Amino acid sequence: MNTLHSTRTTSTTLRLALACIAAAGLAACASAPVPNEQLAVAEAAVQRANSTATHELAAVQLQRASGKLASAREAMGSKDYERARRLAEQAEADALVAESHAMSARSRLAAQESQDAARVLREELARKAPL
Amino acid sequence: MKLRLTLLATLSATAAAVLGACSSMPDHNAALDQARSRYELAQANPQVQSLAADELKRADLALRVAQQALSDGQPLANVDHLAYLTDQRVTIAQDTASSRASEAVVKGAAAERDQLRLAQRTREVDNAQRKLGDAQQSNALKSAELQVAERTNAQKSADLQVAEQANARKSAELAEADAAAQRAQAQVARRDARVSDLEMQLQDMNLRKTERGIVVTLGDVLFDSGRAQLLPDAGRNMDKLAAVFRRDPARRATIEGYTDSVGDAGANVELSGRRASAVMGALVSLGVAPDHLSTRAHGEAMPTASNATAAGRQLNRRVEIVFVPQGDELSMK
Repeated sequence: MNTLHSTRTTSTTLRLALACIAAAGLAACASAPVPNEQLAVAEAAVQRANSTATHELAAVQLQRASGKLASAREAMGSKDYERARRLAEQAEADALVAESHAMSARSRLAAQESQDAARVLREELARKAPL
Repeated sequence: MKLRLTLLATLSATAAAVLGACSSMPDHNAALDQARSRYELAQANPQVQSLAADELKRADLALRVAQQALSDGQPLANVDHLAYLTDQRVTIAQDTASSRASEAVVKGAAAERDQLRLAQRTREVDNAQRKLGDAQQSNALKSAELQVAERTNAQKSADLQVAEQANARKSAELAEADAAAQRAQAQVARRDARVSDLEMQLQDMNLRKTERGIVVTLGDVLFDSGRAQLLPDAGRNMDKLAAVFRRDPARRATIEGYTDSVGDAGANVELSGRRASAVMGALVSLGVAPDHLSTRAHGEAMPTASNATAAGRQLNRRVEIVFVPQGDELSMK
């Protein structure tokens, strides 16, 4: 009972505290842990993707990954960790996409070349031995 | 203490309320919808399913996380972010499947090339073996031909010997033929000598060579017309004829009488016979062996000229001495 009473007596203080807590909650909602790990992973992924083949065959995707990594670093600098985390995660995904895209393009070329080679060999043999 | 507890409870309720306010989001998210439909498309693709199963699973996981975030009412930025990650995972799955399909094509093409090369090598080996076989067969054939040729040569040598023998025989035959020819020439020479001898002996007489032999014609001057008595003028001719028989006692002759067509034919035959006999008698009287002579009476047959004129008739009246050709004379003629 005593407590209730005292609560009532301190209602102004409480409201003030509530507002503070609400503000703190909102701040908590927007704030996040520092995404050091994600950034490191993204940096590693972008670095790995940064090969000659990827430059040639998936330039757009690679540029996108690099750009996002730079943005992530920027967000880290301005302590916008949530944004930094997302950008780092996207940079990693973009780097992976750049790699897979370059690989599929290279494989497609290789397939084309080897099919051509087989066709050339077939034709040559057919010319050599028409029987 | 109590106050602090109440404060704490209030605080948490407020925090929950604040968080609830934070998650007041729509049920749908355009980016997530797009990512989902791309995932579903990839998931329905058998190539992606079989060649990029792991990548597809990660895309699925990302999609679930994004959907959970949406249903949890997480901020739009977070859901968009998770949708983006899902979308990229789908892209990775598709690229990976494409890569592996291409690698399979490379392997298939390489296998095809290997097979083609193998087939080519097999063909080459087959060809080489066939050529070898052909060469061996050819060699065998040539050996057989050589043997045949050797046999043929041997045969030819034998033939040559036979031919040489035949040649020798022919040379001998030729020599013999030469000898025979020489003999024949000698015979001819002898016969010619004899004939010319006869011709010499019967010079000045009417003499001609016929197939029957040498024929000497005695004109009608020997006889008076219609008579068979030799005139004295005939004596010189008879001597010449008799001399022939004396020099060549083996000679035989036929004495043949002819007349013209004047008068009875039968009488003419009889007259020609008598005249022939008269000549024979004269020769026998001159020493010719009678068995070497014979007579024939032809009468008016076989005239030598026309009986229409006196001159013709005179030619038809005749006696012919036919010297029977002796063996070689006949054969050589």
